[in-house]
Amino acid sequence: MKIIIAGAGEVGRHLAKMLSKENQDVTLIDQDQTRLDVIDATYNLMTWNGNTYSFSSLKDVGVSDTDLFIAVTPFETNNITSCAIAKSLGASKTVARIDNSEFLIARNGTILRDLGVDYLIYPENVAANEIAISLNHNWARYWGELHDGKLLLIGVKLHDQNLPILNCKIKDLPVTTHDFHIAAIKRRNETIIPNGDTEILPDDIVYFITTPPFIQEVRELCGKTKRVIKKVLIMGGSRIARRFCSLYQDKFHIKIIDKDMDKCERLATNFPNCEVVFGDGRDIEVLRENNIFQYDAFLAMTESSETNILACMTAKEFDVRKTVADVENLQFVSLAENLNIGTTINKKLLASGHIFKILLDTDQTNSRFLALADADVAEIQAHEGSKITKAPVRNLKLPYGMTLAGLIRGDEVRLIDGNTRIMPDDYVVLFTLQGTLEKIEKWFS
Amino acid sequence: MVQLTKFKLPKLSHRRFINFLMLARIEGYLLVILAIFMLLPCFVSMLYETESSVPFLIAVGITAGAGLGMCFLKPKNKDMGRREAILLTGLTWVVLSLFGMLPFILYGTHMSVTDAFFETMSAFTTTGVSILSTLDGVPKSILLWRCLMQWFGGLGILLFTLAVVPMLNSAGGLLLFNAEVTGITHDKLRPRVSNTAKGLWGMYIALTALLIILLSFSRMDFFDAICYGLSTMSTGGFATTDQGIVEFASNYVKVVLTIFMFLGGINFVLLFHALQGNVRNLFRNSVFKLYCWLVVFGYVALAIDSVMQGLYHNAEDLTVNPLFQCVSVISTTGISTPGFKSGGPLAIMVLFLFMSMGACSGSTSGGAKIDRFLVMIKFLKNEFYKIMHPSAVTTVILNGKGTTPGMIYKTLAFLIMYVLVVVISGAIVSLTGIPLGEAVFRSLESISNSGICDVPGGLSGSYAHLPALGKWVYAFVMLTGRLEIFTVLLVFTPGFWHR
Repeated sequence: MKIIIAGAGEVGRHLAKMLSKENQDVTLIDQDQTRLDVIDATYNLMTWNGNTYSFSSLKDVGVSDTDLFIAVTPFETNNITSCAIAKSLGASKTVARIDNSEFLIARNGTILRDLGVDYLIYPENVAANEIAISLNHNWARYWGELHDGKLLLIGVKLHDQNLPILNCKIKDLPVTTHDFHIAAIKRRNETIIPNGDTEILPDDIVYFITTPPFIQEVRELCGKTKRVIKKVLIMGGSRIARRFCSLYQDKFHIKIIDKDMDKCERLATNFPNCEVVFGDGRDIEVLRENNIFQYDAFLAMTESSETNILACMTAKEFDVRKTVADVENLQFVSLAENLNIGTTINKKLLASGHIFKILLDTDQTNSRFLALADADVAEIQAHEGSKITKAPVRNLKLPYGMTLAGLIRGDEVRLIDGNTRIMPDDYVVLFTLQGTLEKIEKWFS
Repeated sequence: MVQLTKFKLPKLSHRRFINFLMLARIEGYLLVILAIFMLLPCFVSMLYETESSVPFLIAVGITAGAGLGMCFLKPKNKDMGRREAILLTGLTWVVLSLFGMLPFILYGTHMSVTDAFFETMSAFTTTGVSILSTLDGVPKSILLWRCLMQWFGGLGILLFTLAVVPMLNSAGGLLLFNAEVTGITHDKLRPRVSNTAKGLWGMYIALTALLIILLSFSRMDFFDAICYGLSTMSTGGFATTDQGIVEFASNYVKVVLTIFMFLGGINFVLLFHALQGNVRNLFRNSVFKLYCWLVVFGYVALAIDSVMQGLYHNAEDLTVNPLFQCVSVISTTGISTPGFKSGGPLAIMVLFLFMSMGACSGSTSGGAKIDRFLVMIKFLKNEFYKIMHPSAVTTVILNGKGTTPGMIYKTLAFLIMYVLVVVISGAIVSLTGIPLGEAVFRSLESISNSGICDVPGGLSGSYAHLPALGKWVYAFVMLTGRLEIFTVLLVFTPGFWHR
């Protein structure tokens, strides 16, 4: 697929790298040559130094036969203009990054569609929603909803040493396993696709796949209690923090600490329901003064990933139950996960994941994917006459290293067990280790 | 919201210093490709020649065997960094020369290893100088093999591999592309590097085929047409007989060769777009414009020279011949016309300038490339201007786009290295008793990959009588020139091998 990305900022560059690794034809445009130099010399893609919203430069770069045009410069008006021009020059689908929620409202959407913008991404909005989800389901490390929440993927870290499911093999679990599957286990840096003989050990992150009625069962199994989060302390009034406040200022009791007086004043004007404090969130005295130990959650949202990680560790010392850190440096994400600081948020990953989804929607040939550390989660359609539909699952000699998790048949979503027979045209959600997917796809075609 | 993403971080701990298995595997692929190319002259020798072609088959067998053996290596991880790409690029040209010289040693000419390596390197780098003092009695298969190697090396060995080996359509492949393609910046045709390589090679093949067809309409027989087609399009300039082009010196042949040598000197990315109909961009390109003006300048100078030297006999000597000669030198092809040998000082000046300059970057020609000279001239002009107007702010604009200071430093560093390599290698060779002037001239001939034997003033002749040391030094200089100096010399710096 031919993809043009306008704007080589953090999101643009990350997208370009990711899509280039996906073997797409990627061209990255930016006005600033220095931003392009490094990526041009090291990644398998083309760069173009030019204006992202000028007819001539978009024409030169070949926008007329582009399948997907993505405008992700920091300025939404430029992005919308770029998309409108690209569309008029012949791009099939366009995506614009915005930072104004007004465009997301359905009745305002048509005006952009008329201009030629097909999809919108609002990374800060996605991140704010992600934070809210992790606060609502604060007992889980990872909370993923597939198919509008009909199928849930829940990752839980097992801290409690006395859980009944610990130190026993999956086939000997003291509970019935019809209502959930253990899809994957993450042990330190290794991801395991379990079979019946795999043991669950303390400190594993176990990924359950289940349906909404059985959430409570899974939670109790992991020895977690439900805690309602009410009071949230935010450090740093960044764009994500501001978006979070505007979305949830009524739902949570929010206090924001920022070290910039002007910013504080603006925050106080824009979000009258939030408390705003002028001070440095890295300073323990400031945190103590603001009664950090009374808060249910601490969100570290400054521009600096390092500060956020360390601040969350400090907050954990104060016994704050839930901490969320904005970690923009990709290399730090996995490090941060090992540091017991709860959830990490990465705007780039969220935005690129969003665009990846758009890509999959436009490109039907691809299996749908999401990645979980070293494991791939794929959604594959079973074709008429494929091997997987020949017999109930227990009678198929399926290869190791894969878990068949759930099944989507029409509107119905259910878990797969040994007696399930997969029918043609069903979508199957499965877990595999990286790199084995090609082998598995043969079963479905 | 489920995070839908496939981005994975590289595992830091798994990175080797140099992924030798992966390098060997790619070399394997390359040798297999070379063996396939080698089959062609091998068939010629089987069909037309009296000498037993078994040695030739053995050469093919050794190459194919070594290649296939290395193809089956299984590297643990496939990633390649910049270090590997640079090492691989240099290594490839040496390894392919080592295998490409086998026919010369085993068959027909039975050269020594030194001679064979020199000849092969001269072919691959499209230099086109030869240690053969006469081509009489050299089998046709060997002549074809020389031209075929020139053609293969002309646009780039690795570029060909990038087009045909899908495994290299990755970030590692892109680094190879950058290390092999000539010029200050490396223009791409398409986002994926393999598509760029396919486009460029496709055009190269098409142009060569067209040239061969055009040449076969002349007095040339089909074999000569193929050989000249291959060696002209690659701007290498190997001949098939001692008389060279004289034998077929009709105006038609000269005009056709002039056109294709000229095309061979244009940036191929630009040429590709022009052939697709975007001719306006071609004439907007400042490097191309300068190239055209230089050709005009050279033509006028050579025409005046031939009048001054009293070589003017007929209309040809003022029209076709100087133009042919001028394009032949600036595109670093180095095919010469009969009258050229007796050219005067003006001819030597043009020759010297054009040879060191070469044509546009991203073409099959050698030399330091017009692009760099253009950047340097504009930069120097700015510097002179700044002496009078110290607070003036100036930039170097190339093709309508500003350049960064980094690019200018790179260009100047290149030009300095270019001169240094010529001087130092010339000095080394002069130790063997060759006159210094001749030694330095031959160095320039090697680094610019022009290879003009029998030049005016008698500066250079056949390489047959050079001592072995000289041949090895020049072979090295040719490679240095073809891979634009830094790629080769970097491997010899201690920093490259520091963990």
